[in-house]
Amino acid sequence: MNKSGLVIRLAIVITFTAVIVGLITTQIFHRFTFLQEQTLGEQNIKQLFNTVSPTASIASYLNDEELAKEVVNGLISHDLVTDAAIKSDAILIKSDNYQESSTVLEFTLFSPFQQERSVGTLFIKVNENYLKEKANKISNTNTFVVALEASIITIISILVTYFVITRPILSIGKALHSISPGTEQRIEKPSSHQHSEIGQLADDVNDLLAKAEQQMLREKKLRNELQILESRFRMLFENATSAIVLVEPQGDILLYNETFERLVDKLALPLKKNYGNYLQDLFIHKKELHEQVKIAFANNESATAELELTSTSDEKIWVQVVVTPLVTDDFQENYQITLHDISKRKKQISLLDQKANYDALTNLLNRHAAENHLNKLTATKVPFALIMMDLNDFKPINDVFGHDVGDELLIHVASQLMKSLRKADILSRWGGDEFVIVLPHASKEEVEAICDKLITQLSKPLHLTQHNKSVFVTASMGVSFYPDDQTDLLELIKLADKAMYHVKRSRVTDKALYMTFSTDAFNTSGSNESL
Amino acid sequence: MKALMRVFIFAIMTLLFGPVEAQNADPLVVVVHKDNPVEQLSRSELIDLFMGKYVAFPDDSKAIPVELEGDHAIKVAFYGKLVGMSLSRVNAYWSRLRFTGRKRAAVFQPDEIELVDYIITNKQAIGYIPQSLITKNLKVVYILNE
Repeated sequence: MNKSGLVIRLAIVITFTAVIVGLITTQIFHRFTFLQEQTLGEQNIKQLFNTVSPTASIASYLNDEELAKEVVNGLISHDLVTDAAIKSDAILIKSDNYQESSTVLEFTLFSPFQQERSVGTLFIKVNENYLKEKANKISNTNTFVVALEASIITIISILVTYFVITRPILSIGKALHSISPGTEQRIEKPSSHQHSEIGQLADDVNDLLAKAEQQMLREKKLRNELQILESRFRMLFENATSAIVLVEPQGDILLYNETFERLVDKLALPLKKNYGNYLQDLFIHKKELHEQVKIAFANNESATAELELTSTSDEKIWVQVVVTPLVTDDFQENYQITLHDISKRKKQISLLDQKANYDALTNLLNRHAAENHLNKLTATKVPFALIMMDLNDFKPINDVFGHDVGDELLIHVASQLMKSLRKADILSRWGGDEFVIVLPHASKEEVEAICDKLITQLSKPLHLTQHNKSVFVTASMGVSFYPDDQTDLLELIKLADKAMYHVKRSRVTDKALYMTFSTDAFNTSGSNESL
Repeated sequence: MKALMRVFIFAIMTLLFGPVEAQNADPLVVVVHKDNPVEQLSRSELIDLFMGKYVAFPDDSKAIPVELEGDHAIKVAFYGKLVGMSLSRVNAYWSRLRFTGRKRAAVFQPDEIELVDYIITNKQAIGYIPQSLITKNLKVVYILNE
């Protein structure tokens, strides 16, 4: 049996209490009995004295030793008396062992004839041992009875407590012990406690069990839902086409998805725990993102940037980076960084750019692109020279040899022209067989030199293998200066155009003429016309 | 019949003279021989002499108490007045003492006349008589009034 079990404990407490109470009761009872016996003894002694007092009085009145002896002997024959003595003015009669002491009771003897006349004293020594024995005997009996009573009460208390209280509670406890919460198991109500507090306890426990079951079911359901949600989130995260990374402010990676793993693999980089702040080591321009982040975070926005990744392969990988600050529940700031692959788009854009700005045949800038450049130059007030060039006799060649040859010739011209230009210069196909050349910061002399060079280059013939013939073209060029001649772009182009046509017309008489400045053209045109 | 007669006569006598004797101006006195040196006795000394404690006068001369025999009226009155006891109780007292071997020193006389005569002839005697019987040969040492 369990040492600290309820039954044992209860038994110990009840027994202990019974023993203590019994001891105290018997002690008090003993004391009480003893005192009572003592009083009773004293009363008996008084009665004894009353019995012998007439004779004792006579004996001491007459100083009669015989009579006194008779009285003393009579007294000591009593159980209550150990010793006795009679003392008068003339005699002292005492029993054999009589000794004067404080425990001796004294009675004054008066004359039998004169109540007020004292004639002697009677001494009686009470038998204390007899009194004690008697008291002990009585109290021993009482002790035995009390002990018996206490034992009976103890046993009955233990039995009643065990059967009425402890056993039902223990049975409830045992039943509860073997029940696992959250199941349909319930406690059986003890049959003898249908309406008692213990029955109430069983009911309450069952209520609690029912509640626990409900709660558990609800929790299980919630857990399942959470699991499903989590797996969905995981699916979403893992299967996202964008790389998603959660990093700490120092750059330590907390979480990343498969796409990120693949991306790192594609860059031929080892999978590391840290790629620097905002994954900067992955980008070619490491610091660009820092600027964006600083600005965006200051405005409480996500930072966005399009960056090229460090790739060892020829194929460029561009990503759109979005950095979003996330504050966790414990106020830690982390960053969510998503990397969208925009390489394809970048490529398409560059293709579109090519299409929009370049002439498909010659791969020179088209008119639209050239106009953009010119606008840019005028907007920034950069001085430049604008050369309008038109091929001479291109149409007949086109007509005679066909468009293919015409196209071939145009490509040839473009490449020849390209050779004589500086890097900052702009060469564009203005349309048909017209070209516009822009020379920033060029003086008249430099323009003349370049035009000369251009014409020299053009004079190099193109061999037509198909026709086994060599062809070459000449060109007419009109030049205007920004901002010296005109600040308005359209007017500037018109000036150059006019100068070019002036050259074309003049070529009828002067075959060697190939270029003129717009200022000269209008100054001389008058003279030419006058010629 | 004779006995009955005597009781009757005694009863008549008691009725006629008893109360007169008891309450009249004839109180009991204790007397000694006129030549006895004792002049006066206290009540306690008187009790001690008649109840057997002492057999001597205070001056240590021997004393002989003189008693009346039987239950004489004067004797009854004397003990009633001296110790407040009935004669039977006084007799019981003496009976008890007899067992212890104590002998009474008293001399018994049949009546008061003889008692007076005894005292007159005996210097050590002491006895009780009605006051009316006092003679010049007697000396009163105690008067029992009430």
